[in-house]
Amino acid sequence: MDKSKIVFHSIALITLVVVFLFFWYLIENTHTEIGQQPTANSQQPTADSHLYLLLPISLLAILLGVACAFYLEERLPPTNWFRRLIESEVAIFTGIPSLLYGLLAVEIFVSYTLGSSGQGWGVLFYAEVLTFIVLVMPLTIRTTQAALRSVATPIRESAYALGASQWQVLSNQVVPLAFPGILAGCCRAMSRALAAAALLMGIHTWGYTHETAISAGIHSRYVLLLVAALLFSTFFSFLKENPT
Amino acid sequence: MKSEKKQSILSIRKLNAWYGDRQILINLSFEVQRRQVTALIGPSNSGKSTLVRCLNRLNDFTLNFRFTGEILFKGRDLYASMVDATEVRMQIGMVFRKPIPFRCSIYENVAYGPRISGVNTSVRLDAIVEKSLRRVGLWDEVEPILDGTPDELSIGQQQRLCIARALAVEPDILIFDEPCGELDPMETPKVEALVRNLKADYTLIFVTNKRRQAARVSDFAGFLYCGELIEFGATEKLFTNPQDIRTEQYVTGKLG
Ligand SMILES: Nc1ncnc2c1ncn2[C@@H]1O[C@H](COP(=O)(O)OP(=O)(O)OP(=O)(O)O)[C@@H](O)[C@H]1O
Ligand SMILES: [Mg+2]
Repeated sequence: MDKSKIVFHSIALITLVVVFLFFWYLIENTHTEIGQQPTANSQQPTADSHLYLLLPISLLAILLGVACAFYLEERLPPTNWFRRLIESEVAIFTGIPSLLYGLLAVEIFVSYTLGSSGQGWGVLFYAEVLTFIVLVMPLTIRTTQAALRSVATPIRESAYALGASQWQVLSNQVVPLAFPGILAGCCRAMSRALAAAALLMGIHTWGYTHETAISAGIHSRYVLLLVAALLFSTFFSFLKENPT
Repeated sequence: MKSEKKQSILSIRKLNAWYGDRQILINLSFEVQRRQVTALIGPSNSGKSTLVRCLNRLNDFTLNFRFTGEILFKGRDLYASMVDATEVRMQIGMVFRKPIPFRCSIYENVAYGPRISGVNTSVRLDAIVEKSLRRVGLWDEVEPILDGTPDELSIGQQQRLCIARALAVEPDILIFDEPCGELDPMETPKVEALVRNLKADYTLIFVTNKRRQAARVSDFAGFLYCGELIEFGATEKLFTNPQDIRTEQYVTGKLG
């Protein structure tokens, strides 16, 4: 059981990394495209590439969310005003169904692609980025905090009683135990981001004529996104079912 | 009188403690003698755990905890500003009611303390692990499964593993907070015998709510009742000739 768990965790982790590298590669390509002078043909794919920019940004937001949760949970007392502020914001944002975020994203995205004359970075693009960040970060903060909290006080105290410092307790005891839960939260947030991206991609596809879409390989990318989203929610549910 | 003073390793002076607004400990003063077993007895919720958690600064992490008074360890104030709390906890170890081995091998459990305090050669670690496990009488039982997880051990063995883990950092004082609370009657005598045996090298503080157990293992005993130290003195005297009526009622089983 323990071994299969380790294997599964590493698969989830490796997938996260591979997905990250994949999108990173896409960003690299995007950069050259942005620099190009827009033509009637390249306009649409440019907007499309920006979509891929959203996903690595989401991943960064997830990592930031994990760091933020560590800071809130381990460094600040529950009574701290900043922690309470963030926690109540997180509660509000995670309370909003992701469908609404999806609609918001579509709204921005559609006006973005319609309105953009190919010069790329517009206010709307930043609004889109913000939507994605708000989509993933509060969720990550909440799940990471829950995972950290699930490591019982006695195990921390046993380590403290041996003279471990706060940092040592965190890195040697808490993180290994909370890791599956944290990873599950990341997968869930990533699945959310991918699903939203797939939605945008789908909407984008309808804007093309059928042939252009096929030649641009949009359909396959759409499917790829959906599959990735599904994959991550599978990871999430598996990791969630095996609490440590 | 003078020689007695030299024997004292830990002095608790006028200790008051609160969780939030609720006072848990009321004006406690007593001395813990070097290489003796000092038992703290008292009914549930009398503040025994709160008291011992002050002694190794484990309450530092409890948010609404607050105290007044002085705790001197070898004459030095434990809570003085330049004192490092992690060093205090290295010198004043603690074994809890429920044995909680870490999620790693038996060997790594015992090696954890020395490792974090900077011992990293495997030769030295091996020696420390073996010595500590021998000390608690667990070596012969676990030698073949040192790399196995502690889950396979019985609760009593796990508790002795936790004691070995605490011994591995060579503390001066070892606090036991109801170490037999979760153990079955077969395992309890082993831990009691171990406590009596450890007295030769360590100063022990033994919290229990079983009066007979305190009578069996300790040299000095304090009776805590509702946060007050009703009586403190040599165990024999406390149990056979208690000065306070509440102590007498408690040791004879009429109170608590
Ligand atoms: N972190 C805390 N915050 C608030 N109150 C606490 C906290 N820990 C303990 N208490 C309260 O302090 C009182 C004393 O508790 P303590 O654990 O010291 O008793 P005890 O003598 O060790 O009891 P037991 O024999 O059950 O272990 C109890 O009434 C308990 O409810
Ligand atoms: Mg207690």
